[in-house]
Amino acid sequence: MTSGNGTGKRLPLEGVRILDFTVVWAGPYATQLLSEWGAEVIRVESTKFFPSTTRGGLARPSAELVRSGGQGGYPDYEPGERPWNRAALFNVHARNKRSVTMDLTRPEGQEVFQRLIEVSDGLVENNAPNTMERAGVSWERLSKINPRFILVRMPAFGLTGPYRAYRTFGSHMEAVSGHYSLFGYPGALADESGTSLLADPAAGVSGAMAFMAGLRHRRRTGEGLQLELATAENFTGYIGDYILDYSMNGRLGEYRGNRDLVYAPQGVYPCDGEDRWLSISIGTDEEWRALCGVMGRDDLAMDERFATPEMRRAHHDDADTEILTWSIFQDPIEAMQQLQAVGVAAGAIMNERDAYADPHLRERSYWQTLEHPEAGSHEYPGVVWRTANTPNRIRHAAPRLGEDNEYVYKELLGYTDEEYQHFVETEHAGMDYDPSIP
Amino acid sequence: MVDLPLSDVRVLDLSWHVAGPYCTRVLGDYGADVVKVERPGDGDPTRLAPPFYEDEPGIERSALFLHLNTNKRSIAIDLRSEQGRETVLRLAEWADVAIESFSPGTLDALGLGYDALRAVNPGIVLTSISNYGQSGPYRDWTGSELTIWGMGGPMLYTGSPDREPLKTAGHTPACHVGGLAAAATNIALWGADASGEGDHLDISFLEAFMGLIDRRTTSLLNYQYTGETSGRPPAGQTPGSGIWPTGDGGFFFTTVIGPRWNAMATMIGHEELLDDPNWLDPAWRAQEEPMAQFQALVGEWMLGHSKLEIRQAVEDAGVYGGPVNTVAELLSDPHFTERAFFETIDHPTTGPQTYPGRTYRSSAHGWPPPPRRRAPLLGEHTDEILDEALGLDAAAIAELRSKGAVS
Repeated sequence: MTSGNGTGKRLPLEGVRILDFTVVWAGPYATQLLSEWGAEVIRVESTKFFPSTTRGGLARPSAELVRSGGQGGYPDYEPGERPWNRAALFNVHARNKRSVTMDLTRPEGQEVFQRLIEVSDGLVENNAPNTMERAGVSWERLSKINPRFILVRMPAFGLTGPYRAYRTFGSHMEAVSGHYSLFGYPGALADESGTSLLADPAAGVSGAMAFMAGLRHRRRTGEGLQLELATAENFTGYIGDYILDYSMNGRLGEYRGNRDLVYAPQGVYPCDGEDRWLSISIGTDEEWRALCGVMGRDDLAMDERFATPEMRRAHHDDADTEILTWSIFQDPIEAMQQLQAVGVAAGAIMNERDAYADPHLRERSYWQTLEHPEAGSHEYPGVVWRTANTPNRIRHAAPRLGEDNEYVYKELLGYTDEEYQHFVETEHAGMDYDPSIP
Repeated sequence: MVDLPLSDVRVLDLSWHVAGPYCTRVLGDYGADVVKVERPGDGDPTRLAPPFYEDEPGIERSALFLHLNTNKRSIAIDLRSEQGRETVLRLAEWADVAIESFSPGTLDALGLGYDALRAVNPGIVLTSISNYGQSGPYRDWTGSELTIWGMGGPMLYTGSPDREPLKTAGHTPACHVGGLAAAATNIALWGADASGEGDHLDISFLEAFMGLIDRRTTSLLNYQYTGETSGRPPAGQTPGSGIWPTGDGGFFFTTVIGPRWNAMATMIGHEELLDDPNWLDPAWRAQEEPMAQFQALVGEWMLGHSKLEIRQAVEDAGVYGGPVNTVAELLSDPHFTERAFFETIDHPTTGPQTYPGRTYRSSAHGWPPPPRRRAPLLGEHTDEILDEALGLDAAAIAELRSKGAVS
């Protein structure tokens, strides 16, 4: 068997089957990465329950709400007949995955689930622990059904401790984990920072890592493994230098804005146009002089205020003003090209249009066009990393709700046509959310 | 020796700065044997990155270095010397994976590129981490965490709409690239173990950020779906979201429209707002007067409570929010404390200090896990590694030292 990825070569995780109970961003990113590299990831969903902020904000948002932009992106601002299959929020990460539906609140649904556990290698989820217990997901049960099972659980605060039932989004985890006390404009109020949502992708990559660790453990010991990843704990590793600085020096970090302990000047400068910006980091005297050259300001290259890294740090505000008086007339993309040509670290703050037009990403074939039966044909962000010997591409667009019901019930679990028909009639297998769901 | 999931994985760590070392820190936490190759003299440049213990610079005093390099052994090798390169090739034979973060082309120029490593070890996985990737027009461009985060990441959506876009704090972007590289390396190693053929991974900051699942990838597809670009959403205290002052600090509070409105009204003790059709209508609530009223109601309640009281109330009500903890508050937080998350690690320069703990717990390995090995002193394990991994005797090691190939 080969991957059908167009390369004729096996992907590393072909033959690994993972059940996916993930929601929103953190969990879906873990399974996106695993499915990208060949794992068969099956989203276990239900037509009786709509996971908000996963397949869109609401199952059936009104056309007005969608046009107001209040629900994230739908193709041409049209919710369509089945909005849950058209939400950018979902379709961007669910590529390569499959979708099956069953109602886990009824015994029959649990029976199907049990058979699915028997034929799968593992399960990844990122819900509050009590939600999973209600769905019948626990290590005690799953490891009994399949002793070689790998269960990756990614609740915000872990399976134990006083916050175990505490449900949060990524930005709240960053608040708890200390990041929000470090992230802001110098001297400004906390609420001017807006939101950072890095804790979600951080948990996603750690979730993929944890699953791989489970596979290795199983291969060596013959036994399955539960891996618990508290996503709030996970994010503290990203600010370990601040934690150690506090431990060693008693110093509480402060808002640095876009400034840095090493580069000076460093900042984000306004450019010509609406919401257009350029970032610049100057490390050496040579880079400073190169910047001055591009700005046509040889006077600044000789200016004593900016002669050394220490002097530039001491006169950072002045340097910012000088750069700004130049940047405000520049196009950020052209300025980036000019500065990089003379060895200055500069980057345009790219909006979506810039990103899709970027020549570097084009030459590396980063974007990939996918055809989706209900969302149409669009370019998607591509595979996250490259490999020399195993070229890879996205195999298929995100699954519609219940798209793989027949495959899972009949091919994987061996139910007959009649039995499958029964699951359709009893509303386990379906492709529409219950009409009562708004 | 405690058996951890990656106890059978040997890592040749040629990386430096933040992303590569974060990657190998993760591998070490899962039990891998990480051999960190550093240049003689001052080693990984992160050793000289501030802040330092007692604010005094020194190669064994950097908070960033000490944090990123737990569970590793250090060998100092001069890659510019012929015997230094040979030593690295012999370590590549010993290793299962190699991690590097030099500028693209550097390793090839040293005679230590993928082809050279593959020649001595066909199954090796080489993970190359770089700013823009190993190919393409920006391959040789320079960059910083800020500039590449600005190009690839979700920066345009962060900060106040009235001000410049704002980077996330410290080295969080680079750490993320490292976390991604750790997962990628393991996936490739799984394939290499099965096929006997290794691989060369090309991981770039730019594409790691461009592919970041949060607003970035969602907004990129949004643009494809609708043709619209997006910018910074309003900051500040709105009925949607914001950081509110409480009795003892900030609280990040997010009200979710619709079904949770009543729970929130009950939480702040204003039952008269229950089922009010106006308040249930997001368009009505977004007007100036209701916003002011909302701010007064919620603001007053917030000021009358502590962050931890509000956290509990939010959990009980099933609405969303989190206390804005300082690092000090994080270290004394009741949940993190009860889970014994943080770890104390001793070090000859700094004495015992508090570190973030391992990111995972498992059903087979117990908690607390075996203590981590502190970050290595520069070249601390040179002899040990040459002896144990390469089987060199004392005379051979002395010769390498005398020629300056190792130290």
